[in-house]
Amino acid sequence: MIKKFIHQFASPKTYMFQVNRAYPYIFYFSVIIYSLSVFWGLFLTPEDFVQGNSYRIIYLHVPASFISQSLYLAMAIASAVYLIWKVKLSVYLVRSIAPIGAITTFIALISGSIWGIPTWGTWWVWDARIVSTLILFIMYLGLISLHDSFNNFEKADKFLSILVIVGSVNIPIIKMSVEWWSTLHQPASITLSEKPAIDLVMLYPLFGSIIGFAGIVTCLVILSSKFQIFRREKNKSWVNDYV
Amino acid sequence: MIMFNFAFNSFSEAILMESQNGQSHGIYVWSVLLIVFLCIFMTFFFYKNKIKKITKKFK
Amino acid sequence: MNIFRFEFLKLSRKSRGWLGPILVFVLIMIAYPLTVEVSNLELGQSFFSVLWIATLLVMMLATEDIFLEDYNDGSLEQLSISDGNLSFVIAVKIFIYWMLIGIPISIIGFLFCIGITNSSQNSIYVLPIILVASYIFINVFSFGNALSLTKGSVLGTLVTLPLLLPLLIVLGKVIVAINFGLNYFGFLLLLLGILSIIIFIVPMIISYIIRAHLE
Repeated sequence: MIKKFIHQFASPKTYMFQVNRAYPYIFYFSVIIYSLSVFWGLFLTPEDFVQGNSYRIIYLHVPASFISQSLYLAMAIASAVYLIWKVKLSVYLVRSIAPIGAITTFIALISGSIWGIPTWGTWWVWDARIVSTLILFIMYLGLISLHDSFNNFEKADKFLSILVIVGSVNIPIIKMSVEWWSTLHQPASITLSEKPAIDLVMLYPLFGSIIGFAGIVTCLVILSSKFQIFRREKNKSWVNDYV
Repeated sequence: MIMFNFAFNSFSEAILMESQNGQSHGIYVWSVLLIVFLCIFMTFFFYKNKIKKITKKFK
Repeated sequence: MNIFRFEFLKLSRKSRGWLGPILVFVLIMIAYPLTVEVSNLELGQSFFSVLWIATLLVMMLATEDIFLEDYNDGSLEQLSISDGNLSFVIAVKIFIYWMLIGIPISIIGFLFCIGITNSSQNSIYVLPIILVASYIFINVFSFGNALSLTKGSVLGTLVTLPLLLPLLIVLGKVIVAINFGLNYFGFLLLLLGILSIIIFIVPMIISYIIRAHLE
């Protein structure tokens, strides 16, 4: 039943048409939300008592680091779907998420280290959370290079999805590292189970920027998956009709 | 609770972002903003270009 | 039992395969004091980080062609077709590699530890840790080398080394725990727990990968 559903609706052709319909809505919505909430965060929120105005980087840093981990999780789920049900589309998605994940992780690392200069007095600390984000960045690059080194796409797909699943042990380590190791990095400001550690005035734009950034990243993933589908399905007849 | 209240009085103040401890944090905030926007734009541009190239091949 | 003897003979006759990594390990251990102005106090301070990194690198070298020769001469293909259990054979292979390379390295590392840190009590604590750690390393690197079977070992190392870095953090913590007499056995149990998971899962994954390679 599930298998039939997935096979019917996850063909690259239907995906392409559905995505093309939704793309402009997602794009304009997320760009508006993101720019509004970044503007709100940068100009309309009060100054932080401890960190001064440099805390405003939170509206750029937190969405990127949050999304970079979520993208890995999405990749892990998609590769599990590929290995279990052999859905072609999901491995295209895995391959197309990898570079986007690398870019978001890069943004998170750069913005975090610039934020570190005024607040900690140093741009880099060898603590667990930062190092594991760096490891995540290297893993994204490693995944891309693994997939590109095989001429045989079938093989490369299989190895890519295995490696993604094996590598997902790194994600809980990143999540937990702030609690496990003593560190300079502040614990997460927002958790599902507890009351947020920051004031509501600062929280709303943060939520907005996370949602907006997620939308923008979704648009990037759609573009990159379109490219992957074109590359992989170039011999299919529907692609020629589509173009 | 005031939700919308400008934290800065003038444009130059917003550029400098001087904090209570006397440091001006504007350079950090603005450079991060620049990097983030640049990264996103470059990626959009890169993929649009790549799709354009590959669709040209089909025609 | 037959598989054990077969794999043992195969590796032990290839002295480049097992003696080479051990000698490289000894050379790294000798090279370390040369880079420090000789005074025993300074030597002991960062000895352990060199020990862990040397173990890591040597395990990487040791597993470089763990499956390549079998793949080239077709014995892996034969194994996967015959009704023999491929993942069991792989587990045995990894075990033999650990026995011939990991155990000697652990003992040599232990001896260097006594010689450099001048504390035989701490060194005895280090010995089981390095035994377990080398087994974990060898498992994970053979996973990486199975992935990049025909593409050289650099790619395999590139994709598996990130997975081992958290383990290196734990190993760093172990040394702190030994020096201050904290919960050393907790860390040992943690490593053993990781090993007991890896020892079953990695051969299964590798056999899946090798079957994909042979298709």
